[in-house]
Amino acid sequence: MLAYITRRLVYGLVTLLALSVIVFTLLQASGGGPLDRLKLNPRMQPFIQQLTEQWGLDQPVWKQYTTWLKNYVSVQEFAVHNAIPIIAIVGAAVATFLIVKFVRSQWTGTYLLGIWSVALYLALRNVTIRFNWGISFQGAGDVWDLVFSRTGATFRLGFTALAIALIIGIPLGIYQAIRQYSFFDQLGTIGAFLAFSTPIFIIGVGLQIVMALYLERWTGVKLFYVAGMNSPGYPDMSIVGKIADTAQHLTLPAISIALISLAGYARFQRASMLEVLHSDYLRTAKAKGLPRRKVVIKHALRNAMIPIVTLVSLDVAFMIGGAIITESIFGWPGVGRLYITAIGTVDYPVVMAIVMVIGIGIVVMNLVADILYGVMDPRVRYD
Amino acid sequence: MTEKLLKIEDLRTYFSTEEGVVRAVDGISFDLEPGERRGVVGESGSGKSVTAMSIMRLIEPPAGEIVTGTIEFKGENLLELGEDEMQAIRGGKIAMIFQDPMTALNPVYTIGDQLVETIMLHQHVSKKDARGIAIKALEDVQIPNAPARLEDYPHQFSGGMRQRVMIAMGLSCNPDLLIADEPTTALDVTTQAQIMDLMLKLAEDRGTAVLLITHDLGVVAGFCDTIQVMYAGGIVEEGSVEDIFHNPQHPYTWGLLGSMTRLDGKHRARLHSIAGAPPSVIDLPVGCRFRPRCEFAIDICGRVLPAIRPIGEGDQSVACHRAEELDLKTLDVDVDHTKEVAS
Ligand SMILES: Nc1ncnc2c1ncn2[C@@H]1O[C@H](COP(=O)(O)OP(=O)(O)OP(=O)(O)O)[C@@H](O)[C@H]1O
Ligand SMILES: [Mg+2]
Repeated sequence: MLAYITRRLVYGLVTLLALSVIVFTLLQASGGGPLDRLKLNPRMQPFIQQLTEQWGLDQPVWKQYTTWLKNYVSVQEFAVHNAIPIIAIVGAAVATFLIVKFVRSQWTGTYLLGIWSVALYLALRNVTIRFNWGISFQGAGDVWDLVFSRTGATFRLGFTALAIALIIGIPLGIYQAIRQYSFFDQLGTIGAFLAFSTPIFIIGVGLQIVMALYLERWTGVKLFYVAGMNSPGYPDMSIVGKIADTAQHLTLPAISIALISLAGYARFQRASMLEVLHSDYLRTAKAKGLPRRKVVIKHALRNAMIPIVTLVSLDVAFMIGGAIITESIFGWPGVGRLYITAIGTVDYPVVMAIVMVIGIGIVVMNLVADILYGVMDPRVRYD
Repeated sequence: MTEKLLKIEDLRTYFSTEEGVVRAVDGISFDLEPGERRGVVGESGSGKSVTAMSIMRLIEPPAGEIVTGTIEFKGENLLELGEDEMQAIRGGKIAMIFQDPMTALNPVYTIGDQLVETIMLHQHVSKKDARGIAIKALEDVQIPNAPARLEDYPHQFSGGMRQRVMIAMGLSCNPDLLIADEPTTALDVTTQAQIMDLMLKLAEDRGTAVLLITHDLGVVAGFCDTIQVMYAGGIVEEGSVEDIFHNPQHPYTWGLLGSMTRLDGKHRARLHSIAGAPPSVIDLPVGCRFRPRCEFAIDICGRVLPAIRPIGEGDQSVACHRAEELDLKTLDVDVDHTKEVAS
């Protein structure tokens, strides 16, 4: 198991390196150097100087890449505030050792995942760490601060959307499979295809017009906001007011992101559930005399959920990169919007930083997915 | 005569498909005595599995439906039972095991889990006692190291071992009837023989009646008391194993027996199959369903569907217009007798 995880992490590292080379090269090839715009302004001369030095812009491309890479992985600031991180990490390591040694293999993955999530969370809460990601070409300041000032907003939106999609999409797919070809099933299918085939900006703008504009006109109450994360008066609100204000801002963009994933989950879950419902072992379960509900809940669900794990894990990874279009439509200050402006200005430290964060997310979530897979399906072996 | 364990009358199970109504089981009647072991043979698609699934009431609506008939089990018509009552019978009084042991067990639960679940469903025992019964059941099917193997998952067993587990599961609640749908088809020959021996021993010891669906007449000869031969959704001949083997009355049975390899060397060890293919159960021919492939067919066979009727002194019955006049047993089966029929 440990050997497996180590190997996967090494592969992941290689993948990330390859990803960085490819994206870096593409950015170089995109033309219209980042400095061209700055050069128009004579007062920018010192800034250009600073950038050139920091990023080695007068050097050949491969040199620029190695400079970027060296900066990207070098720690600029690191401080441990108390003993908690050390205790957490050492504790997790000891627990890992004991579990791998003494616990039956099927649950190993769950335990390790849980323990390390808690340990890393505790550790990160009690240290300060920043990497030397340099300064942005747009003059927007330090790349590290820039990216991480946006992740909170993106996570809030992304996780809400994901939760909506999961909570509705998965039961919907299951129900559709159980009632295959019923009116409800057909309705779900049509709904899913509508959600799939409608461009996200139409969904977004449509929600704004109907749910915010018209609804306010009809009811006379402002139920949903169409832009931003909170109202200007937010800091002075009561706790209830704060929650309401947050929800009012969050609902529409979250729904517009959730709709497509929701449709995807429902379709996927429906197909996977149907396959299980027609399987031999379900026939066995029925032939044993199990009540239909137990057949579905105990014997079908767990098998039908296995393939979904991968799908959802990868969605989590992509969510980190933010929703470019939705964030733009709803004026949401997330990573996606930062990313799109950075691409427009060939602000490569920012673009690279975000691409790599997404890449790391995908590598990690893939690993998480594989571990969960093994937890849910005893046939999976790690070797 | 003792009370019948199972008494099926004029059972018809149809499926509606896009091509039309599939008359998978079309008016069959048969009885089963307690402890009787009956073989159900017939070509693929003749309705053997659908018969079994009908008895278990596992035909899924809306596609499939038992249109008419009665299935009396211990004097109770199963078709009139509510779903709850039927659940108590499934797995408890009538158990079923299936063809493919590789896929018949749920891959994400341990063998123990699946056995204990069945036992607790039908017997009012504690989890601990259920475990004990499960271990006993695994030992009965000769799985070595039973207590430890309870913790194993299906993929950790070989095909033969899995079928043993299925048998253990089927018999764990001491059913009156075990339906085995081609239990050994997916296994290699040696394992097949072991499994059949085991089933015979267990069924005999407990007096469990068995409905054994199979393609293998050799297996029937060694295992069963009686046989029913199915063709295109109907029973064409039934009787004791002796009568059917030594004195087949239906040309189809006679053909099937001819397709058996004679290992005793008394007859030729040649294999032949009946020419032609069974009719589509959507477009059944008028008259006898076997007529297009029958070398003895005469005019009436094309007009009237022969009803199944008793013949001879024993319990043998046959659905053939010409049964009395044909003396099939004196005709040694040979390839030459089977004429080519364009299909
Ligand atoms: N769910 C279903 N929907 C439609 N048709 C079905 C269904 N199940 C069975 N049938 C049809 O019913 C007929 C009888 O099938 P059945 O499975 O009983 O055959 P069988 O005798 O068991 O054959 P085999 O030896 O191949 O198992 C076949 O023509 C089959 O296509
Ligand atoms: Mg069958």
